[in-house]
Amino acid sequence: MRSGGDAQGKKLRTWRAGRSDLSLHLLTVFSLAVAFVCLAASLLVVTNLAAVRDRWSRAGRATVYLRDGTSDAEATDLLRALETTAFVKKVRLVTSMEARREVLSDDSDKALAALPAAAFPASLEVGFTEDVTSDSLETTALKLRALPCVETVETYQKWTERLSSLLGGGVTASVCLAAIVLAAVVSVIGSTMRLLLHRRRSEVEVLKLVGATDAFVRKPFVVEATAQGAAGAVAALVMLGVLFGIVRGRFDHELVSLLGVAPSFLPWPIALAMVSLGALLGAATAIISLRKMVLV
Amino acid sequence: MAVTSSETAFRPALRKGPRFDPSAARRPILVFEDVYKSYRPDQPVLRGMSLIIERGELVFITGPSGSGKSTLLRLIHRTEVVDAGRILFLGRDIGRLTHDAVPALRRNIGFVFQDFKLVPNWTVYDNVAIALEVLNLPARLIRTRVGEALERVGLSGRGNDPAEVLSGGEQQRVAIARAIVGEPALVLADEPTGNLDPQLAIDLLGLFEDIHESGTTVLFATHDRTLLDVRPRRVVVLDDGRAVDVPSGLHDEDQAPISGQEQLAECA
Repeated sequence: MRSGGDAQGKKLRTWRAGRSDLSLHLLTVFSLAVAFVCLAASLLVVTNLAAVRDRWSRAGRATVYLRDGTSDAEATDLLRALETTAFVKKVRLVTSMEARREVLSDDSDKALAALPAAAFPASLEVGFTEDVTSDSLETTALKLRALPCVETVETYQKWTERLSSLLGGGVTASVCLAAIVLAAVVSVIGSTMRLLLHRRRSEVEVLKLVGATDAFVRKPFVVEATAQGAAGAVAALVMLGVLFGIVRGRFDHELVSLLGVAPSFLPWPIALAMVSLGALLGAATAIISLRKMVLV
Repeated sequence: MAVTSSETAFRPALRKGPRFDPSAARRPILVFEDVYKSYRPDQPVLRGMSLIIERGELVFITGPSGSGKSTLLRLIHRTEVVDAGRILFLGRDIGRLTHDAVPALRRNIGFVFQDFKLVPNWTVYDNVAIALEVLNLPARLIRTRVGEALERVGLSGRGNDPAEVLSGGEQQRVAIARAIVGEPALVLADEPTGNLDPQLAIDLLGLFEDIHESGTTVLFATHDRTLLDVRPRRVVVLDDGRAVDVPSGLHDEDQAPISGQEQLAECA
């Protein structure tokens, strides 16, 4: 009976506040949404930059240079053997002639054209599956180097390591930026909720006057603030989602060819965490702001 | 003159609950014992004030501005705490109540302010109903009792109006309805007519007299002499931080005022 009555009272007063000051509540949710859009945008940068880093952190290919004098049969045997090796997606044989043709496609460079045929060794271009690890790539390379017909194996690991470290730096910088934005969001939410509660201080005063307990005063405000925080975060995700959809619809092809990966929206766990953060911040700021007001 | 419990039917002294004390029904509703209160060390507002208010009385508290009328009411409501001395409400020392016990005290006291203290964007109904919602009463009972209270103050049919669109007199009636809807043992009125014209003030006094007639103790703080002269009532004059009791009202020039200390000694 008692808890039922309390829940009823809370429902009544929460509804009353929403009904009597609807425009103010909508404005509050919009203010919170604007703050959360900044946070979601920075998280979107972090997510996609991390995806680009992951994409470029492994080359996913290797070039096996064959020794001079390797016969076509030996090269074909090696190609067949590689095709059945784990993590190998595709193998292509590039003969000396093909290599020379590819390099000399621009006939303006006479120095290159003057090079002997031996300067363009035959090779096997090996493409690996996406789940190949650096270790298994290196093991495969070691085994290939041990073969008598193989001159050397280039796995492009150093290049990818440099690129990966560069992109890793970018991810770290964007995480720092997201943290700063998060601090700003916390500040904006705190100020917004405090202003909202300050505007409604007369309500708190009246509640204390008629003998409301601290919990009775606090609960509906906390429920409201929690709902507003969560609603602000959801609204931000919807706004950013729409914007992301528009940008992706127009520039998806260019972005894929530029970055190597298709840009993706915030994963569900991050979106859910942001909504939870909104609710949590709303509740926390309401509790903190009300602490002084209820001590009358 | 003080009205004793045998003469008038009274509201319940304290709502029944785990700490209900039936012996409270035999005690004076308010006892001030040597109460001191100051906001600044060099300017005490109350200096050893003593006073007894019996159940079912309508008592005017008067005195010049700054004499401590509002302070006295705020001390009863536990919005302020005494520096020294005791204020007993139904035998319980208000100053020693814990923070968690204060809401229970306030639920037994209706308070009417000069500035109404309504939530302007709430409806009249909501402003009155809140006093019952804190008691966790069922919504149906709240509706019935709020309707009765609004009818009693002459505002039936105005429940859906926002409080901010009402006139000053109407807003004060809403505040009175809120103060009485919970059927408190005591109603405190702090200059409730201060913002109203003289005729409205007298009408409102009539409303407080009706509330008193139903058995509720009323403490009415005012500096408006015309209200004190409407009918002979007990008047407590606050002067120099002490209470001087004039049992039959200020219109009777022949009677001898009684100090609070004398009253306490007589009671003892």
